[in-house]
Amino acid sequence: MTSDPRPPAAAIVGIGATEFSKDSGRSELRLAVEAVRAALHDAGLRPADVRGLVTFTMDSNAEVAVARELGIGELTFFSQIGYGGGAACATVHQAAMAVATGSADVVVCYRSLNERSGRRFGQVSVGAVAAPTSSGIDNGWHYPMGLSTPAATVAMAARRYQHVYGATSADFGVVAVADRRHAAVNPHAWFYGKPITLAEHQASRWIAEPLRLLDCCQESDGAVAIVVTSLARARDLRADPAVILAAAQGCGPDQFTMTSYYRDELTGLPEMGVVARQLWQQAEIGPDEVRTAVLYDHFTPYVLMQLEELGFCPRGDARHFIAGGAIELGGRLPLNTHGGQLGEAYIHGMNGIAEAVRQVRGSSVNQVPGDGPVLVTAGTGVPTSGLILGPA
Amino acid sequence: MTQDAADRIRAEAQRIMALGESSPRVARDPVNLPIIENWVEAMGDANPVYTDPEYAAASVHGGLVAPPAMAQVWTMPGLRRERDGSDPMSQIVSVLEDAGYTSVVATNSDHVFHRYLRPGERLTLRFSLIDLIGPKRTALGEGWFFTTRHTWYSGDEAVATMDFRILKFRSPAAASGPASSPETAEGPAPPPAAPPPIAPRPATQAPAAPAPAPPPAGFVMRPVISPDTKFFWDGMSAGELRIQHCGGCGALRHPPGPVCPQCGSDDPGYVRAAGTGTVFSYVVHHHPPVPGKQLPLVIALVELDEGVRLLAEMPGVAADQVRIGMPVQIRYLRIDDELTLPAWRPAGPASDPGAGPDELPAMVVDVSATFVVASALATRDFTPVHHDRDLAIANGSKDIFVNILTDTGLVQRFVSQWAGPQALLRETKIRLGVPCYAGDTLTFSGRVAERIALAGADRYEITVTGRCSLGDHIIATAVVDVPRSQS
Repeated sequence: MTSDPRPPAAAIVGIGATEFSKDSGRSELRLAVEAVRAALHDAGLRPADVRGLVTFTMDSNAEVAVARELGIGELTFFSQIGYGGGAACATVHQAAMAVATGSADVVVCYRSLNERSGRRFGQVSVGAVAAPTSSGIDNGWHYPMGLSTPAATVAMAARRYQHVYGATSADFGVVAVADRRHAAVNPHAWFYGKPITLAEHQASRWIAEPLRLLDCCQESDGAVAIVVTSLARARDLRADPAVILAAAQGCGPDQFTMTSYYRDELTGLPEMGVVARQLWQQAEIGPDEVRTAVLYDHFTPYVLMQLEELGFCPRGDARHFIAGGAIELGGRLPLNTHGGQLGEAYIHGMNGIAEAVRQVRGSSVNQVPGDGPVLVTAGTGVPTSGLILGPA
Repeated sequence: MTQDAADRIRAEAQRIMALGESSPRVARDPVNLPIIENWVEAMGDANPVYTDPEYAAASVHGGLVAPPAMAQVWTMPGLRRERDGSDPMSQIVSVLEDAGYTSVVATNSDHVFHRYLRPGERLTLRFSLIDLIGPKRTALGEGWFFTTRHTWYSGDEAVATMDFRILKFRSPAAASGPASSPETAEGPAPPPAAPPPIAPRPATQAPAAPAPAPPPAGFVMRPVISPDTKFFWDGMSAGELRIQHCGGCGALRHPPGPVCPQCGSDDPGYVRAAGTGTVFSYVVHHHPPVPGKQLPLVIALVELDEGVRLLAEMPGVAADQVRIGMPVQIRYLRIDDELTLPAWRPAGPASDPGAGPDELPAMVVDVSATFVVASALATRDFTPVHHDRDLAIANGSKDIFVNILTDTGLVQRFVSQWAGPQALLRETKIRLGVPCYAGDTLTFSGRVAERIALAGADRYEITVTGRCSLGDHIIATAVVDVPRSQS
């Protein structure tokens, strides 16, 4: 079987979100409904137009519940994607496939979580190791030994990366400083008006060495929704469409969820390499043509490793690539112009897709000049996904 | 049972306890070399201080001594056991049997050895009832635990004591047969304890669910064990590191799975790894708290010398002492009966000066029918379930099984093999688990729980597990003093 490298002819035509907070005071279902409603309003569509819903397996709000609350009526496509934040871009990927195959002409992707006031991912999830599933068994090789938080699982790879390539904690800090600089001018960001210096990063406490507090994303309450429809229908809607130039999922060889420690090396993200090859092929562009990118940043070291895996620089060179303001506004590749998940909010990568849409529309608070394509990636260390968006 | 009946049993126990020590039972023979030689031969204990006069003369003892674990052997009643029924144990047994608690199982045998005995000493035994608790609901049925204290004297000097704990219970199943003598009672052992409950998964369905409550103190994260991974965890409990080995192509693999990704064979076996390797990467976890662990916690991903990687914690090592590439060696962290976790410690004497290894070398005992019979008779225990298979089966056992006096002997052998011939065994505390039947294999593993420096010697507390195919046969601690010149 040969695959058609062309992406589905679909576009993002609406984005919506709640406020991002540490205590929403509302149910996750209500947040989901508010975000979907806002995204539909942005698109100029009504709930009755929606035929498909896509979310994460980790989301607490079933498609049927969201559809019920919004009075959506009939659905012809509904799907949930696994592997935590790795699902983010894959929700849009699946929505686009549903549109392209005619399964549904308007599909909404959503993610809603009270991740700070409710279940905090940064804490040890004792249930994850008790699950009688293959994932529960996988967790049995590190949870009982004490490696049981996302930060610690990333720290293991980060330490090896430092050892092999000479990267330092300060190199990781460059990513945090860029994110926080961008968040500081974004009124929707939790850290609006609160930039940090590299010295502050270096002074922040250890969470899981070699990761410091300021290497770790926030824990947030909030929801984001994204509306996908066909290019043909997009032309009739009020917002400028962000065309899906490429959409892909990827899982690497010998893949585990956050603990792919048994491959030859720990210094790459082969699953992101699988995504990258498809994205460049579908969009018929290379890394040099990317105007700005939203690289998933739950933990800073994986931003460096993504730059290498995506081909922006050779392996081990990311610390040189990011130096000197290269990933800040005005630099050669501004990253995470909304402030990322360190600066804006941790909505499992979905807020990054919304920012990529704003960059295509020209409405970002940190707008990067030009009309070149925008890259978005999803969760790292897990089976993941990515998108390239561009103007019509 | 009624409150009245329970009160009556307690009152009787009080009366028996008030009687104090029984009249003395005098050993048939003085401590003597032929009986010792029988015993060490049956146990497989090769320590020359018991049988080699020349070696013994030059040792800390200055002459031959008897194995301390033989204390009880000298006063065993023998084949034609006679008991007048007036001793405290006979009395409490008949009180409980009259109340319907006719079945019996021994649960603990704890020895303290005050000094080593020499040939020629003739012992006397006195015993007393020191404790009665009940009624308790147990896995076997409702019953009462009682403890008798056995004190052995040489002249007026107490030379050893044993606290022996027994459960007399009312079997909920068929009426039990004749009670066996509690002196060496080993009826059906209690089934292994059920694993502690796993904490409920945090609720994720309830919208705006409150944060899940933190796990209770003492909570341990346990692996889910599947048929594909069971060999690894069984190996941990047995004190060995097992790595999956493909029966088709020979590839090694960790973590294991049901099918070989290299050749597709679904015939996985395992090899016993050396347990040595080098740190490939590591983490120092500071935050948030991890149930059951002390922070900061060093966790290392280690490349084993065999070529696969294994992740485990590295307790007791300062974070700034850890380096990628540093050689390490496995340790086994026994959590409880169900779980032993791998752990790392720096390899080589340079990084661990003066201290012996934490882990004792494993000891494997082939429990043949001959071993069961020979060791029972060498301990002068003539209870038929230890030598008469037909009778054992008629009594509801699978086969003849190892007796308790042999367990004490094997713990002594296991610990002194590690501690050396001049070490002095001070204490053994044995909790009795599943029976070990003829035809099984008994594997002893142990590790140093504590080391205390004494004048001229180091006192080690050793935790010991003896496992057979049914599970933990015994779980014990032993205290042994090792002369410093020797260690």
